[in-house]
Amino acid sequence: MTSKPAMTKKGLISRYIFAFACILVGTILELMNVGKEFLGFWSVGSWLIFVGFFMIVMNVVTSMSRRKKIIDERMEKIGNKASRVTFVALVLTAFIIMVWDGISPITIPYALFMSHLISWMLVVYVVAYKILERKN
Amino acid sequence: MKTKIRELRKKLDMTQEKLAEKVNVTRQTINALEQGRYNPSLELSHKITKSLKQNKIEDVFELK
Repeated sequence: MTSKPAMTKKGLISRYIFAFACILVGTILELMNVGKEFLGFWSVGSWLIFVGFFMIVMNVVTSMSRRKKIIDERMEKIGNKASRVTFVALVLTAFIIMVWDGISPITIPYALFMSHLISWMLVVYVVAYKILERKN
Repeated sequence: MKTKIRELRKKLDMTQEKLAEKVNVTRQTINALEQGRYNPSLELSHKITKSLKQNKIEDVFELK
């Protein structure tokens, strides 16, 4: 295949299922009063509910967009290369964090640490993709 | 890889967008192919050859 649609029907349905699962789990946690303040939200449950609703909105916007997106073989290749770069960056970051933690223990909350790490990975992926897109 | 995509496309009075639409790729991919920055798959080479009304892949693409 030289190209395929940006999002298949199956992919869209699975995204909706995941979003509804987030809302459901969030509601259960909220009703059971589980968890404390989390990433600026008053509990993990409220954060999950927010993420679920945000995903639903994003899915609606994506499916409503008229522009037909094309993902061709070149973009797939670039994406694969960018993923590899991101993986190497993840390993290096983990190593640096490990050494840093050995020198002076990192005391930031785990949730905050993970959110920083995921954001860093996303930034690395986007930058790597853009650079590789120019070269390839 | 060296290509004759630009010449053949100009002969047929075809824009990059039109060719991209025909072979179902992005315009950027056609541009990368014309500049020799990207080596296409056999399937894409075949589609481009057909779209440019050529019989052989060698008529469009040649190895440097």
